[in-house]
This record gives sequence, structure tokens and C-alpha cells, in this order.
Amino acid sequence: MNPDSPRDDFYRHYAPMPKSYRRFLLVLIPILFLGILAIAAFLPNIHSQLNTGKIQGRQTFEGLLVAEPVPHIIVPRPGNTENGDGFSRYVLSAGNKAGVSQKVLDLAGQWVSMKGLVVSRNQYSMVVGPTAEAIATPEGVTIVNPTDSTDNTSPSEPEPTEAIASPEDVESDSTDATSPSDDSEPAEAIETPKSITIDPTAGISLGEFELEGEILDGKCYPGVMKPGRGKVHRACAIRCISGGIPAVFIVQNDRGESLYFLLEDTEGKAVNDRVLPLVGDRIKISGEVMQYDDMLVVKADPDTYARM
Amino acid sequence: MSVGYKSIQWTKTKLIYDVILIAAIALYVYLFITVSAKLGAEMNIPPVGNAVRIRAYGSAAFVLLHVILSIGPLCRLNDKFLPLLFNRRHMGVTMFVLASIHAAKTLNLYHAAGNLDPIVSLFVGNTEYFNLAAFPFETCGIVALLIFFMMAATSHDFWLTNLTAPIWKALHMGVYAAYALLVGHVTLGALQSHRDPLLTVAVGIGMVWVVGLHLAAALQEAKLDRQSLAVGDADATGFVETGVTVGDIVENRAKIVTISGERVAIFKYDGKIAAVSNVCQHQNGPLGEGKIVDGCITCPWHGYQYLPENGASPPPFTEKIPTFDVRLEGDRIFVKAIPHPAGTTVEPAQIPQSSVG
Ligand code: FES
Repeated sequence: MNPDSPRDDFYRHYAPMPKSYRRFLLVLIPILFLGILAIAAFLPNIHSQLNTGKIQGRQTFEGLLVAEPVPHIIVPRPGNTENGDGFSRYVLSAGNKAGVSQKVLDLAGQWVSMKGLVVSRNQYSMVVGPTAEAIATPEGVTIVNPTDSTDNTSPSEPEPTEAIASPEDVESDSTDATSPSDDSEPAEAIETPKSITIDPTAGISLGEFELEGEILDGKCYPGVMKPGRGKVHRACAIRCISGGIPAVFIVQNDRGESLYFLLEDTEGKAVNDRVLPLVGDRIKISGEVMQYDDMLVVKADPDTYARM
Repeated sequence: MSVGYKSIQWTKTKLIYDVILIAAIALYVYLFITVSAKLGAEMNIPPVGNAVRIRAYGSAAFVLLHVILSIGPLCRLNDKFLPLLFNRRHMGVTMFVLASIHAAKTLNLYHAAGNLDPIVSLFVGNTEYFNLAAFPFETCGIVALLIFFMMAATSHDFWLTNLTAPIWKALHMGVYAAYALLVGHVTLGALQSHRDPLLTVAVGIGMVWVVGLHLAAALQEAKLDRQSLAVGDADATGFVETGVTVGDIVENRAKIVTISGERVAIFKYDGKIAAVSNVCQHQNGPLGEGKIVDGCITCPWHGYQYLPENGASPPPFTEKIPTFDVRLEGDRIFVKAIPHPAGTTVEPAQIPQSSVG
């Protein structure tokens, strides 16, 4: 063999590169680059990093603050509510991996004006990192069974709920999801209602059910993180739930729609610390499903939750 | 020919290598993030930026690991890949950096801002160690990252010299354990949360590629080993017939022969035949696949050099390899089975004029 033939080329990184090596690299490197580009463009398509969960911007609510089974605010709905629930209930959490601040919780049982970031997915919404101040209960509103005794308005006869103008409705189809300056004022002043009664503990029992689903934290799943569920997110969800963010039980019905249930034990208390080992797994819960306005709650002893 | 180890030696080739490497990675991360944002914009649901970056850096490290693991066997199969090899360590360190960014961002997004120290949370968040499906995939990633850290920290030739090549080499074989751990990390983690089957297919293709390449290289190696077996047994003088003839060897090149389990490189140059150990002192590179350049046996992997007469690197370098006595019978080459200590001067066998060819 001719020692000068390309076959005899020998590469040393500190010497000029033989032609045959150069030619090879001039093909190889572009191919590597194209491969890398292809992978980078392809992988995002097969990661589940998009879902309908959305951060809706900061909004203001006025309503009754309730501490149990999970901290939430009951907001009278605007418009005609003759044949629907008269109230929307929004679950609350802090901005980090913690439950809503004690400062806000101290106002439980009172009528408050609250401002916070709304995160929602389908029919479930949460107010994140809210600030709140107690305001006068609007005229004609009667609160029965407040979960905190600080502002115990004398109970009166429950009456059918009435239409009432309220702060803007977060369920409305706001397409401008991330408008950061959505610091809207409470919408029009509340029209004087004839009279409404709010009983945070008044729920309708929908019966006993056996539900299969996954326990997730009520903040990440609706949109703060994506996918915000499953194994990769498990540790985060555990931190969130142990920090006091309400646990949410997601169940898919036969039509593939997601139903969102909050969890309470048989005493009506939050279950957070008792469900941590089950977070993110497929589990089965058998219990009584309660509907509190637009909020669904499964009442069951967390000891009976079963991994599938 | 180690040139001290005060600092990393920067050559122009190394610089070009690193620039291409960094450019490719930057492009990858940028594209991953851009495509994710675009997909979100199309559906009017922006993805979560930090989570996207976790995936971008994590997948970049994993893809780069596949490239790194491919270089070795590709070089065994075709020496044109050797220019990717000499600076593979920079690739490894870069991969470690990418994996660290992935880990740091994960810690920050999933474990920080809670009621536990993020590092503690990382270990106690999920403790289902005895349940395969629920196994804390994070742990696989952490152990792999620690292995990469050890490798990156000892990647400099300083450690190679001080730990000695066999120990260093064994430590750096840890990359295979790390790869296995990462396949577990991805399979038990991402693949269970992102349910697109194509993601599983992609990881599978990567595995088949890596394992397949190594098998192909091993088969080739085994074949060469079989072919290189010395034909005879040691005679009374301790010489073994190698089965190689002078005419078999290309000028300035070698043939590798296995004599009592040891690989010996038999070089032909300047009308002479010399035999040395096939194993480079640097990182066990195959000297017999090298070439004699400027009178020195030059290793194909990183270019270390040894004089064929005594197996010593030319001054000021100090590497030494064992040498072997060589005897010619006509065209047939005989090599003494027992080597001389590294660096011993041996008289090369002179090729009679008639058999030069
Ligand atoms: S020069 Fe690195 S192995 Fe020989």
C-alpha cells in the first residue's frame, strides 16, 4: 500500500488534519447538527406540557371566607341564578407551596374583599396568594353556620337565593389569559339584593360513590405547572399538599371529562397530611359526595382510600 | 507524551471542537424552548417556562450522553471517528453541566418554597423504594449525577496519572452504570407522566443504538482477537511464531498479535521490525492501530508517542511501555512471549533486503 494513500491517513489532534478525515467530518458534523435540530423540534411535541389549565391574572372577589373543609371563598354569582347555584366557591392557597396565609385565614367567617391570582382548569378555579380585608356584609345577606365564630350573624330562615351582581366572574371565557394588569376593581357596585342566605355547611348529598382517580395539589394541576400531575410531579404535589394547599381528587367520567373533588374526612376536616403517601397514584375512594354550590367534596375516612 | 498537567492543553483543534459542541447544545436548548412556546401559543395556553427548561436541559444531557457513548464503539468500527474521541472528555464535562442545570432547576421548581429543605424534600418526597412502578425515579438521576460529577472532577490528566490508568479507567467505566440509571430515571419518571408512546419509542431507539453499537464493536474486537492469536507455542528459546509475516505489515504500521493473552503490536519501519505492548500508558489506547510518525509509535487515541526501540516516550516525556524481543525466520516473525520491563531497549530485527516488500 502506498503510504501516502488516504487509507494510510493518520489523525493526530495536534497536527494538521488529513484530507480524508476532513472530508468525513464535513459530512458527519452537519448530519449531527441536523439530528440535534430534529430531536429538539420533535421532543416538545411528545411531552405533555400543554393543557387547558390557565393563570387568569389577578382578580378581586367579595364574599364569605370559609376555613373548612378547605379554605375557600363563597362568592355570590351575578345574573340569573334561579335554576342554578347561587354561589361560586373558589379554593385558596398561598403563592408558594403552602396553604393560604394565616392573616387571611383569621378572617374566616367574615365577609371579605379579596384580591388574588386566579388559576383555573375547566370548571375548577383557585385563588392563589390572596390578600383580603374584612368588609361589611352586604345588606340583605344573612350568614348561617359560619365556620368561625368571629362574625356570627344571627341565623335566619333560609330563603331561595337571588340574583346578585358580583365581582367579575372568573368562569367567564376570558381569552386574555395572562393580562398581567388585570387588577380589576370589583365590578359594578353590588345591587341591593332582596335578601340572601349563605350557609357554608349547607350541602346536598349526591349519594355514596366509589371513585377512581388521582390526588393532586389544587394549585399546580389547574395550571401553575404542566403537566402538574403524575409521577414526575409527585414530589412537588406532596410538598404542596403537606404545606396546606388543598388536595384535589381528579376523576375522569365515562365521557373523558375531568371532575374535581375536594376531600374531607368524616368530621368535615381537611385530609392533607393523611393522604401524602397516595399523592399522584391511582386510588379508589368510596364515600359520600357532597355538593356545596359548585364545589364537589368527597366525604370519607382517608384511611379507607385504597391504592389500585 | 503527556505535556505535564499544569493546565488543560488548548490546541486549535480543541477550540474548534468545543465551539461546535457548545453551539450544538445552545441550538438544541433554544429550539426546544422555542418550539414549546410556539406549540403553546398556537393553542393559546402557554407552557410553564421553568418546566420546559427542565425538560430542555435534561433531554439535552441525555441526548449528549448517547453521542458520548457512541464515540468509543464508532471509533472501533471506523477510525474516521477518531477526531471525536480525543476531546470526548470536554463532551462529558459539558454533559455533566447540562445535567446539573436540569437538577438545579428541578430542585428549584418542584422542591423549593415548601415546608422542607429542597434537598431533604428530594429524598423524602417519594419513598416507595420497594415498588417498581412508584420507585422514586429522582434517586436514579441523583446517583447518575454523582457518577458524572466524579468523572468530571477526575477528567483531567492529573487524576489519570495519580490514580493510575487502570483505576481511572474503571472509574470512568461508571458511565455505563450512569447510563443504565438514567434510562431508569427517564423510564420511571418522564415516560410515566408524558404518555405519548413515541417518547418511549425514542428512549428505546436510543438504547438499541447504544447497546447495538457496543455489541458490533465487541464482535469486531473478538474477531480481530481470534485472527490475531499467535499460531505457535513458545519454543525452547521462549519465542513464539506470530503467524504474521513481514509482508503482512504496511510500512510504519503494525499488526496486533495476542501472545499468552497479551496484545503485542508488531511494527515495521525503516527496514526493521519491533514489538511493543499494544497498551498505551495514557488510557490503554490500542498502539497497534497507531502509526509511526517522526520515528515514534503514535497512539491513535490522543497521540501519545513512544520510540519503537525502547518503548519510551521521547524526552521530556516519561511514559514507558514494555518491549519484546523479535526474531525473523525468512519472512516469518517470531516474538518472545515474555516482555522486557517497560522502557527496555531492544534491538529491532533487521529485515533482510530480499524480503522487503
Ligand atoms: S494517547 Fe490516550 S490512550 Fe494513547
